[in-house]
Amino acid sequence: MIDREMEEPIRDRDMMAGSEEQFGDKAPRRYQRRRPRQVVPDYIDWKDVEFLRQFIPERGKIMPRRISGISAKDQRRIATAIKRARSMALLPFVWE
Amino acid sequence: MANRTYEVMYIVDPETPADKLTKLNTAVGNLIEKEGGTVVRMDDGGKRTLAYPIKKKTEGFYILFEIQGSGQEIAELERRMRVNDMIIRYITVRVDEDRKKADKMRTKRETRAAKRSKFRPTEEAAEMSTEAAA
Repeated sequence: MIDREMEEPIRDRDMMAGSEEQFGDKAPRRYQRRRPRQVVPDYIDWKDVEFLRQFIPERGKIMPRRISGISAKDQRRIATAIKRARSMALLPFVWE
Repeated sequence: MANRTYEVMYIVDPETPADKLTKLNTAVGNLIEKEGGTVVRMDDGGKRTLAYPIKKKTEGFYILFEIQGSGQEIAELERRMRVNDMIIRYITVRVDEDRKKADKMRTKRETRAAKRSKFRPTEEAAEMSTEAAA
C-alpha cells in the first residue's frame, strides 16, 4: 500500500515528461520593445520614486532593457537609482 | 582640499518624540559643521510608510541632508549613525560627479542644437531668399 503511494507521483511525472502537450501549446515567448527610445533626464534622482516607478513592472523587478528600450548607460544609472531607493525602503524589493 | 557634495538620508524610528527628533537633527548639523563640512540643505521628509518593514517598523521619519565637504565628516557621521538606536537606516550618496556629468551632457546638447539651428534657415532668412529670387 505504502509502496504504491510512493510510486504514484513518479509515474505521473514520467508521463508528463513524455507528452508533448505540456509544452506544445505554449506559444513562443515574444517580447516587444514597448517604449522605444525613452527620454531619460541627465540627472537621475534616486529619491524620485514616481519617476523610477515607470521602470518597475508589477512584480517589483527592474524592467529589462529589451522592454524599457533605453540605452545601456541610462539603464545602468536607473538600476543603481532603483537599488538605492530600495535600500531606503522607498521602493519595495518585491511586490506580493 | 577636495570639495564634494553628498546626500545623506536617514530613517528615524517612528516612535521618537518630536523634540528628540529635532534635537537629533541639530546634533547632526552641528557635527558636520564641527568636522569642517557645510550643510547645503536640510530636508525633513516627515513620516512616511516604509515599502517593507525594517526592525518590525512600518513607518519612519525621513531626513535628508545635503552636505559639502571633504568626506571626513561623512566618515564620522556614519560612525555615529551606526551606533544610534533612533536611526534605523541611513545612506550616503556622492552626487557632485553625477551632477557635473549631467551638466556637461546638457551643455553638449545645447551647443549641438545651436549648431544645427545655424544651418537650418530660419523663417526670416527664408523670406529674404524668396525676396531676392523675386
